[in-house]
Amino acid sequence: MRRILVVDDAKVIRMVIKQILTRHGFHVAGEAGNGREAFERYKELKPDAVTMDIIMPEVDGIQGLKEILAFDKQAKVIMISAIDQHDALTDAIRNGAADYVVKPFEDDRMVTALKNIFGEA
Amino acid sequence: MDITQDSMKVVEIMSRLSIDRASRALSKILRTGAKISLSKVYIADLSETTAKMNDDLREMTGVMVNFKGNVSCKLLFMLPLEGSLILTDLFLRQPAGTTKEYNEFTESVTQELGNILASHISNALVSDFNATLVPQPPHVHNDFAGVIFSNLVLEQGMMDDQLLLIETQFEICKTELDCYLFLVPEMTSFGKLLDNIGVKS
Repeated sequence: MRRILVVDDAKVIRMVIKQILTRHGFHVAGEAGNGREAFERYKELKPDAVTMDIIMPEVDGIQGLKEILAFDKQAKVIMISAIDQHDALTDAIRNGAADYVVKPFEDDRMVTALKNIFGEA
Repeated sequence: MDITQDSMKVVEIMSRLSIDRASRALSKILRTGAKISLSKVYIADLSETTAKMNDDLREMTGVMVNFKGNVSCKLLFMLPLEGSLILTDLFLRQPAGTTKEYNEFTESVTQELGNILASHISNALVSDFNATLVPQPPHVHNDFAGVIFSNLVLEQGMMDDQLLLIETQFEICKTELDCYLFLVPEMTSFGKLLDNIGVKS
């Protein structure tokens, strides 16, 4: 079972993502509320993939993405954000994000994004 | 504050387009008919608006979002406590009335709704009007309307006696939810945005 780290500053969004992932056969290995916590949890848990919000307090998701990829070049990080803007998208992709999902999203969109990065779609 | 009639019309169009997008996003996330519509765009007298807010003695839940970019702006979404309980149930897809009191889920739902509204409003302004505008993490406040509104004014560092207010109405499941959604742009930077699109502010 693929192990996922879910990162979002809103507890309810972490909860919703966890429900979707569990329903579709993924295991949520852990949760984090900002980019710094995400990096710490990534080192500790070594998940197969990360879903990462962008706008978060203290350390944002782009910084979290950079730190995780500096630690593990093979890390698979999907950005999940309500920001649907060209600059944000290119910033995420340029920094190594595997995909970018805009909130609010259909369950299938996130599940497909995860399956794609594992080559299981 | 000087703002021409033409500029006000442009502000109204910008507001309507961005609020339409936020409304669609809200409907999608709540999985129910949610409609935000523009009530009015106007230059408000700061002390009069503050007094009006002070007259509203209900306990409110408010979420405030700052935007960064070439337009400095703030968003305040504020609704009575009972309204925030209804939104919590809708968001969590629970039967209405499940959430009986304000809790960490209510706070988190309010926070996320602020994020969704602010993000989709900024998405519209960026794609349609060449703004650069990125919302910052939302802050949730519980207090009386006047206190929350005063925080907004203090944070915005209002130097003027007037402010540009964009007021909306909120309807969920065909029930009007009595809440406030204020967009308060900082006028100097907003003037630059109007200049960018060829409107004399």
